[in-house]
Amino acid sequence: METFVQILVSGLTLGAMYAASTIGLSLVWGAMGVLNMAHGALLTIGGYASYSAVIHLGLPWYLGLPAAIIVSFIVGLLIYHIIFRFMYRHPAFETNVIIATVGLAIFLEQVTLLIYGAYPFLQPFSIEEGFFVSGVFIRFQNVVILVLAVVTMLLVAALLSRTRMGRAIRATALNREAAQLMGVNVGRVFAQVMGIAGVVAAISGVMLSSITTLAPTMGYDPMLKAFIICVIAGLGNVPGALIAAFVLGLFESVVQFAVGVRFGFPALLLLVIIALIWRPYGVFGRRQVRRV
Amino acid sequence: MFETGPNWRRDAAFGVVLIAVMIAIPFLGPSRYFIGQLTLFFIWATVVSQWNLVFGVAGIFSLAQMAIFAFGGFATGMMGLYLGISLWFALVLAGVGSILFSIIIGLACLRLRGPYVALLTLAIAQVMYLLIITDTACFYMEGVTCRNFTGGTRGLAKFGDFGFREMLGRREYLKGDYYLSLFLLVLATVFSFAIIRSPLGFAFRALRDNPEYGVSRGLNRFKYQLLVFAMSAFFTGLAGGVFAGHFRVIGANVLSLPLLLFLISMMVVGGLGRAWGPILGAALVMLADEGMKDFVEIRNMGYGALIVAIVVLLPQGAAGGLEQVWEWGRRQVLALWGGTGRLAARRGAAGEERRE
Repeated sequence: METFVQILVSGLTLGAMYAASTIGLSLVWGAMGVLNMAHGALLTIGGYASYSAVIHLGLPWYLGLPAAIIVSFIVGLLIYHIIFRFMYRHPAFETNVIIATVGLAIFLEQVTLLIYGAYPFLQPFSIEEGFFVSGVFIRFQNVVILVLAVVTMLLVAALLSRTRMGRAIRATALNREAAQLMGVNVGRVFAQVMGIAGVVAAISGVMLSSITTLAPTMGYDPMLKAFIICVIAGLGNVPGALIAAFVLGLFESVVQFAVGVRFGFPALLLLVIIALIWRPYGVFGRRQVRRV
Repeated sequence: MFETGPNWRRDAAFGVVLIAVMIAIPFLGPSRYFIGQLTLFFIWATVVSQWNLVFGVAGIFSLAQMAIFAFGGFATGMMGLYLGISLWFALVLAGVGSILFSIIIGLACLRLRGPYVALLTLAIAQVMYLLIITDTACFYMEGVTCRNFTGGTRGLAKFGDFGFREMLGRREYLKGDYYLSLFLLVLATVFSFAIIRSPLGFAFRALRDNPEYGVSRGLNRFKYQLLVFAMSAFFTGLAGGVFAGHFRVIGANVLSLPLLLFLISMMVVGGLGRAWGPILGAALVMLADEGMKDFVEIRNMGYGALIVAIVVLLPQGAAGGLEQVWEWGRRQVLALWGGTGRLAARRGAAGEERRE
């Protein structure tokens, strides 16, 4: 029973964090066709922004998250205005942008390294207290992570389905040209999507660093796992990504417990490869109609 | 087999001159550091030339090139260390092994398209990296020290080298590695030129530029993509083996993201899918690297910014830019010969457009 609770808690926490990292990635891909390799860097920036707001500016710990959200939101917008804006009309956009964001990822990582150094800091947005469930100590932080992730997902879903902005984003995702002809300002939609991606990345970055530590490369590993989740769910499929995130989070913690921590990621990858051989467009994905 | 015409002759002449210069350089008494850097340049240019076949020519978003490189390096080292065979023999076996390794990756990834391939290949490279650096199990004991199968975080060493030390002596052995890697680069480049200009190259490009049309003309996408994947793996694996033999050590750091970025930037700076792109790109990026050597802290930042700038400002790369300058210069020269020259120039320009 104790092991079961332990695996369940760590699996759900992992799943919640993967889900939050995945939404941003999936949204950016779905709406813009951009595979954002700099998403991990956005996560990292969010984590450090929270740290700086509390430690350097002296704000109370609970304001770390809003500070992170604001900073990552601005960085997301800047990425659009400095890079994507000049690229998205080019025919080879989808290829070039991957390379551009790889470059951006390294750039941002190095900037973080230059400012903060490689020393692993502790995330101040964190609650050390906890409670016991059938003999297993559970930190409130794990609960906060789960709740935050669920709330974020609901908010993004509501934003996409209920608002005018969400309708424009969905229209652009469905067919960029048609949306443009209907008067949707595609450039503005892209900027909005990057802003939302920044916000979501900040939340997952703060959550992630609260159970590990802050490091300039901390965003890379969760980003890769978010990629895998996107692949298995079908890129751009947000609800599918959420289910996949939790399933894979639980799977990983079971493997980590049963076989060993170092085999968690390899097992995940193996599972994904098998799934992809079975369904090449993702388990929930449909065959994509590509723009010509 | 080859496309004939001025382009082919230009490339051959250019290539011969380059090779002659590179062969002559060690006789001019350069520093050991310079020889070492050129050796590294040959190795990276080899990898990039093969990656360019997969990524630029066939349009497969593979980020597995360094994984194949690492496989070649580790296979060479492990065979040298555990089987005790000559590193030369191990090198050839590792090259063949790399083909098999890439076919396995290809079977898993090439059913997918576009960014999915990038994601999965990157994940494979990362898993290799994690498995190597978390390897703490004792494979054999060396005195009282425990050695891991993959070398772990310290890297795999003590598998010897290509024997240039005994053959040429301690002072001159670097030249052996220099000529070996130059030879490898020449082979790899001739191979990639042959592929790019052959019917096979046209098939790869057709599947890159218009997959639906290519498939409807009877090209089997999966088969051709697996083919180019496997072909490019051979020289990549060999490059990994030469790298291991040159440095006498191979570690998980060859799978690191900054190195991947370093090589991608060579490919992008040179120009994706362009025949001379890899060599030009590798040369430019390594020169930039030399220039940034004194600024270690901002070196990687510089690469990042450079890549973004090149992709945004010069999507065709330096080779694309040079090609335009070359054509412009040729037209100017021809125009000097008067009316017929002008006509020929116009025809040349039209031919250029058709080839693109």
